[in-house]
Amino acid sequence: MRLEIEREARAGNLQGIRDFIETACRQAGVERSAAFDLKLAVDEACCNILEHGYAGREPGPIRVGFDAGDDRVVVTISDRGRAFDPKNAAAPDTESDWQHRRVGGLGWHLIRHSVDSFSYESDLDAGNRLTLVKMTPLAKASTGSE
Amino acid sequence: MEITTEQRGTVTVLSIVGSVDGMTASAMVVSFREQVSGGNVLLVVDFTGVDYTSSAGLRALLETVKETRQRGGDLRLAAVQPDVLRVLELSGFTHILKLFPDTESAVASFPA
Repeated sequence: MRLEIEREARAGNLQGIRDFIETACRQAGVERSAAFDLKLAVDEACCNILEHGYAGREPGPIRVGFDAGDDRVVVTISDRGRAFDPKNAAAPDTESDWQHRRVGGLGWHLIRHSVDSFSYESDLDAGNRLTLVKMTPLAKASTGSE
Repeated sequence: MEITTEQRGTVTVLSIVGSVDGMTASAMVVSFREQVSGGNVLLVVDFTGVDYTSSAGLRALLETVKETRQRGGDLRLAAVQPDVLRVLELSGFTHILKLFPDTESAVASFPA
């Protein structure tokens, strides 16, 4: 099963992208908590693209692809904004006391903890592509694989 | 997102309904800042109706926790739903935020 949508990188489109993931997960038979994790990871990635990737320029496209296999869901998020390799994301602060806790900087931390693996590619011609992999057995009844 | 505000004695209860994301978190921030700048620093935020938060919501909460505590108050969360609680736990927010099962107990936790 493969589904795809494309939206302009605007904050007002985040809900629509989350709805797309939720509907795709339901159709594929992904269990509820895995669907929530995917929704969160995709939302954080898209928010980064619109806040940083397209910062200071006209909002460009974000394309989200959803592929459900037997034991995993692979979501790809493509954009044409400024590249950002997740390896360069600052370490999150999840332990300081409230006075010293840094505000922000948790997006990549949440992505890392919501999926099983991810990879990032950036190419001048093809743009940027983040691939998120979530291992999850799909409910047989919903996949229509019988 | 809908935000309603209710005064209960010295405590201000803000009830949020909807999803908190990179779009809607700003409405929450505006609401929190209005309270703090108006001198209301004893805040209870009722999350009964919040089914989702991204890190944008966490930013809004942490910013307001800092602002209220620096002024002798606090922001206390009530009725956090399981999915949202998991995001708070993953981010280490349950160590610094005070959580209550419902609005009544959160309001009662402040000195009368």
